Amino acid sequence: MELKPAEVTSVLKKQIEGYQGDAKLQSVGTVLSVGDGVARVFGLDDCMMNELLEFAGGVRGVALNLEDDNVGCVLLGDATKVKEGDMVKTSGRIISVPTGPALLGRVVNALGDPLDGKGPLNVTTSDYLPIERPAPNVVEREPVKEPLQTGIKAIDAMIPIGRGQRELIIGDRQTGKTALLIDTIINQKTTGGGNPANPAQVLCVYVAMGQKQSTVVDLVKRLEKAGAMPFTIVVSASATDEASMQYLAAYTGVTMAERFRDEGRHVVIMYDDLYKQALAYRQVMLLLRRPPGREAFPGDVFNLHSRLLERAAKLSRDAHKLNPRYKAGGGSITALPVVETQEGDVSAYIPTNVISITDGQIFLESNLFNSGVRPAVNVGISVSRVGGSAQIGAMKKVAGGLRINLAQYRELQAFAQFGSDLDKATQSALTRGEKLVEILKQGQYAPVTVEDQILIIYAGTSGALDDLPAKKIADFERQFLAAMRDLHPQVAKAIGETKNFSDADKAIADKVIQTVKKQLG
Amino acid sequence: MQTIISPVATRYATALHELAFEKGQLEAVAKDVAVVKAQVDQGALAELFDPRSNQGQRQSALSGLIAKLGPLTGNFVRLLSDKRRLEVLRELPAAFHRNQLAAARTVEGVAQSARPLGAAELNQLSASLGRVLNKQVVLENQIQPDLVGGVRVLVDNRLLDQSATGRLEALRSLLMNARLD
Repeated sequence: MELKPAEVTSVLKKQIEGYQGDAKLQSVGTVLSVGDGVARVFGLDDCMMNELLEFAGGVRGVALNLEDDNVGCVLLGDATKVKEGDMVKTSGRIISVPTGPALLGRVVNALGDPLDGKGPLNVTTSDYLPIERPAPNVVEREPVKEPLQTGIKAIDAMIPIGRGQRELIIGDRQTGKTALLIDTIINQKTTGGGNPANPAQVLCVYVAMGQKQSTVVDLVKRLEKAGAMPFTIVVSASATDEASMQYLAAYTGVTMAERFRDEGRHVVIMYDDLYKQALAYRQVMLLLRRPPGREAFPGDVFNLHSRLLERAAKLSRDAHKLNPRYKAGGGSITALPVVETQEGDVSAYIPTNVISITDGQIFLESNLFNSGVRPAVNVGISVSRVGGSAQIGAMKKVAGGLRINLAQYRELQAFAQFGSDLDKATQSALTRGEKLVEILKQGQYAPVTVEDQILIIYAGTSGALDDLPAKKIADFERQFLAAMRDLHPQVAKAIGETKNFSDADKAIADKVIQTVKKQLG
Repeated sequence: MQTIISPVATRYATALHELAFEKGQLEAVAKDVAVVKAQVDQGALAELFDPRSNQGQRQSALSGLIAKLGPLTGNFVRLLSDKRRLEVLRELPAAFHRNQLAAARTVEGVAQSARPLGAAELNQLSASLGRVLNKQVVLENQIQPDLVGGVRVLVDNRLLDQSATGRLEALRSLLMNARLD
């Protein structure tokens, strides 16, 4: 950004002009006690819930408890600068964060302040929106119907996600939850060429709460390398930030996403992860002396997550006619919350809460991960309750066979060790399942287009690969897809346009499958 | 700015004030409260608050105090003693005073300025503040040379900063946060 001295002067002139007549009564209070990022303040008449407070030394805080004789608030900055007896001023505004296209490609904290050293955000005061806003109501919504492609075969085929859906990603530590999110962001590049100005481009918001800072840096580097950063906002409240920032970051992220949704765009927001957010919330609420409930979480920990996830929605085409808040209808926010489980215990408090709020869940299992099935999605217990209607016709057809074959495989897997003693039907179901599991394996940072997914899953479910050794499946996939791309590009194009996989195209695919199999020997 | 008074003292003082008002003994009770204040300030009630004093010392200090008070306030002190809330006596004058102010729809405040304000200036200030707050405002003038000029008023948990220092500070933060776009 280049600035001429004359411009600065004119800005200052405007500021000084607007400064006149600023003789208003400010509500003030005195700090009674400070500690652990929480302060109690005496005074502050007319203080609002969630109002931003200004402490001495430029520290800001948020009023969360309005009590009889004091106001309990969390500090959003260096608590060591605040002393007992300091004066506290109200700001007259609910805590709000900057939103809009200026944030795309940036890394910001829970208050929307940039962390990436790329200079100040180019936003105006009208870009600031309060972080707690009501979710769209019933008439402004529409059922989920458009697909959100993650580029991951196992998910797009069997646990399809639609735009506006809330799909939970749940699993132990080190099972590839964040990797799955990164792949999803990278795959959104296919929707609009990675150009954020293109209305078809799906925008991404990644909210890191309580994550290691190294993980966040890694993620940003990875996204930059893949060219996915220009349409992504990263909100980071890492493990070193105050608990209050970690808990607010989720709302900051969804407020930024809502701005785009309300302008008719499609957004994916990822909360990584909500378990750590609940821990941060528990800490803040216990310090504010709110009564603890189960596992010492405050009573409103369910509402904490439900009101957050309820803001993910698919807006109807006419939403802007019903409510002036929306500039255009048809936008959506797809939420992909992550919850980390301990020792695979999905029946713990927070996981069951979030499972009941979301429209389905993707289970990642460490024993699958360790046995080399990556992504380690357990397709048996993962579900998507609304995504089916968002799947394209061609995928629905081939995935149906995939699901049945895999279900049979899982049932018979226990008998696999009896080998040749089994009858023919059981044996063929086992070999088919083995090949399909192999097909669903996928490298990291290598999302697959939906057309390619349909072709390779067709190859597997048609039974053409039953006689191919499992080790050669990866080679086959690479060569087969390359051959289809080079020799018959019209097939993928037809699938993309008609959303249908015609018998003529199937015949072409069958022919190519046989040729590639011959080449592999 | 208001001083902090414990909720217990506030409740007892409100009860005493309301009772005195209902019985039409406000003036007598106010006088009694002034006596309590004088006794507390002089340290005459030290034995009452001292945990080392024995029952006899405490009793004599208590009856000495009650002898100086009217019947209503006397009962009040006896009740405090029975409820082991004699500590309330320390905060009673301030809490009672606040009740008196509230009943008269009056608030007290501080007007800080670099030079002494004249009576006319103070009156004008309290009159205009009173219109905004819809209450009678009684201001006390405090001299604070580091304000340089202008006036800073603290009244009823509210701040009106029109001092030179405060306005320059506000202008500074405004310019620091100005968006150059």
